[in-house]
Amino acid sequence: MIELAELSIAYGRGPSKVSAAEGLSLFVDSYELVAVVGPSGCGKTSVLMVLAGLLRPSQGQARIYGEEVRGIRRDVALILQDAGLLPWKTVWQNAELALRIQGQKDSRERVDEVLHQLGLTGFESRFPGELSEGMKRRVGIARALALQPRVLLMDEPMANLDSLTREHIQNLILTLWREMGFTGLLVTHDMEEAVFLGQRIAVFSPRPARVVEIVDNPGMGTVEYRGTPEFMAKVAHLREVLGGSS
Amino acid sequence: MRSALSSTVRWVLLYLLALGVVIGGWGGICALLVWVRGRPVLPTPGETFTAAWENLPVLAQAFGTSALRFLIALVVSFLLGLPLGLAIGFERRLDTFLSPLIYILYPMPPVALLLFLYLAFGLGEVVRLVVVVIALFFQVVVAAQGAAKYITPSHVAAVRSAGATRLQLYRHVVLPATLPNVLTAARVSVGLGITMLYIAETKLGVLLGPEAGLGRLIEYYTFRGDISLAGVVGLALLGLLFYALLELLERSLCRWKFVGAQRGR
Repeated sequence: MIELAELSIAYGRGPSKVSAAEGLSLFVDSYELVAVVGPSGCGKTSVLMVLAGLLRPSQGQARIYGEEVRGIRRDVALILQDAGLLPWKTVWQNAELALRIQGQKDSRERVDEVLHQLGLTGFESRFPGELSEGMKRRVGIARALALQPRVLLMDEPMANLDSLTREHIQNLILTLWREMGFTGLLVTHDMEEAVFLGQRIAVFSPRPARVVEIVDNPGMGTVEYRGTPEFMAKVAHLREVLGGSS
Repeated sequence: MRSALSSTVRWVLLYLLALGVVIGGWGGICALLVWVRGRPVLPTPGETFTAAWENLPVLAQAFGTSALRFLIALVVSFLLGLPLGLAIGFERRLDTFLSPLIYILYPMPPVALLLFLYLAFGLGEVVRLVVVVIALFFQVVVAAQGAAKYITPSHVAAVRSAGATRLQLYRHVVLPATLPNVLTAARVSVGLGITMLYIAETKLGVLLGPEAGLGRLIEYYTFRGDISLAGVVGLALLGLLFYALLELLERSLCRWKFVGAQRGR
């Protein structure tokens, strides 16, 4: 469960102050997968950083399962835009990294299992430089899922991928969400992706971010949803809302 | 495995070829000088290697002493310079306060301070080490600082978002990210380090015998050109040895740099 209550985020002070979000409120229920779309640079990522405990809001509150976010939480995992893999660590070491940092021992089986789930078995000793872009993103997802998080924050995990790989990873995230049952917040600039993966879609305004509209999307949940008239209509609606807000 | 072996063989062959070119060129210069000056000026490779063979024990001892001295200086400069350089580069506040200090001190040649170093540390082993350490230390600091300044933000975010402590951040990100650049800088600094070693051994070892280092041997045999030149060859080999050692260190510690798609870069 994620709650953002009248959240404001500001960078810098005085005349150089930049406001990334202002009075932003959003509620994501347990086991819900919500997509966030908005114009480039509107402050979407900043909101994720606050939830990940990496950034302090200037006003308002961010709560996860009722507790105010005051730092890094062990039940929250973050997937970064370019996967954030460390090039000097192998696939296995990258997948294990978050567990290792948190001092969670006996993680071998869990890492092996997650790598298997993501189709990375056999690539454990490869370095990121030897992988395709799609595989790198899967390793980034594996690293987050190895933590068995209650809340999964995703910052454009499919950005800059070719369309086939992008769809493949979208399908994978959908399957994992249904199987593992986490609460998910997905930031994306891709409207089709938002409609494919968001049970609800929050549309943010240009900076400073606030919620312009929440689009209900009850039809999502299957791979076949992509391409249905309902899917197309939602995408068209989002395009219209975003066109009007930017 | 097989390709690793063949690349090593190729590497050795290339170095042997280079050695051949150097010796050939050296012989050519000897002949040219005889023709221009009308008398031998530079000992030929044959004369030098014969002198080296005849004086092998003392030469080997001098080489060993210099190599050990250089190794100690290199390790000490790394132990002191690497943490400092990484911290200055990565911690913005330290950068603000310490960078000007480093840049003021960096261009200062330790050789110019020989008198004061001698007065401070005496004429023993320590002062010879200090001269080389000062020279290498700043090279390591500046290289580490430069590399740590430009660490990819997503690498830091990936580790921080998992709750990493400052120490874990240095261990998992800052150190491995900067190591290739630091080792490259160290390789480049070997030449400077050997020059400093030579100066330290000649200027700060006047009362010692020829086995007290290659620099001292070269100076000791000033009037035996062939042995003296054998010492110079020893210095060149010493540089090559450390260059190769650092290269091997980089290949084993930064294996990720040499695999897959990144190999060509």
